[in-house]
Amino acid sequence: MTLTGMQKHVRVLEQAGLVTTHKLGRVRTCRLGRRRLEHEAAWIESYRQRWDARFDELEKVVGELQRNEKVDGRKNRIEPTR
Amino acid sequence: MKNRTTVERKSERELVVTRTFNGPARLVYEAWTRPELLKRWWAPTSTGVSLLSCEADVRVGGRYRFEFGHEAAKPMAFFGRYIEVTPHARLVWTNDETDDGAVTTVTFEERGGKTLVVMHELYPSKQALDATIAGMEGGMGETFEQLDELLVTLGASVGRL
Repeated sequence: MTLTGMQKHVRVLEQAGLVTTHKLGRVRTCRLGRRRLEHEAAWIESYRQRWDARFDELEKVVGELQRNEKVDGRKNRIEPTR
Repeated sequence: MKNRTTVERKSERELVVTRTFNGPARLVYEAWTRPELLKRWWAPTSTGVSLLSCEADVRVGGRYRFEFGHEAAKPMAFFGRYIEVTPHARLVWTNDETDDGAVTTVTFEERGGKTLVVMHELYPSKQALDATIAGMEGGMGETFEQLDELLVTLGASVGRL
């Protein structure tokens, strides 16, 4: 790859937010850009939504177990009087 | 008001998910450990996938296996084994789909009739968690590492010229 070709590649990465570059004299230093952190934040939010949806369903299951327990409890209290 | 679910990357290797449930710890625990109940909440319809099978032998050393998918021919499986089982309080299991899967610890803490669930996922290395975050298939983690290497190489060669 030619130097010009390489510089084009770096520029594309930079425009995409994947890298940031910094030139000091003849040395251009490249670092991974903000995009990576943004990706992590987005992933964590989508993971949160996935668990939130599961937990909403779990909440319903727990509510149902609790109601069933109350009904069973009433039955148990009634039975000895028969 | 709806109970909130939180997710936080606690460290380079840890993810923590929390949620409070309106109910006693023993019932929340029951819903996590009885396969017929697990089946009802683990794959909510909003995710678009359905749970094809769900086995969970909740004993120390016991195995679990959940199979998801759109079609029975090509299921996606999650499996591992339970390494700690404390009824109504704590569950620890391994995630064995990949070599560097997390160890998951779930605790159930009851306070005034409500239960705080804390799910803690500990990955074997920073790279393993980074790879999970970078892409569901783990491919992007490698891509980022290659990009890192490429940038070092580029930096070096641009600098020399």
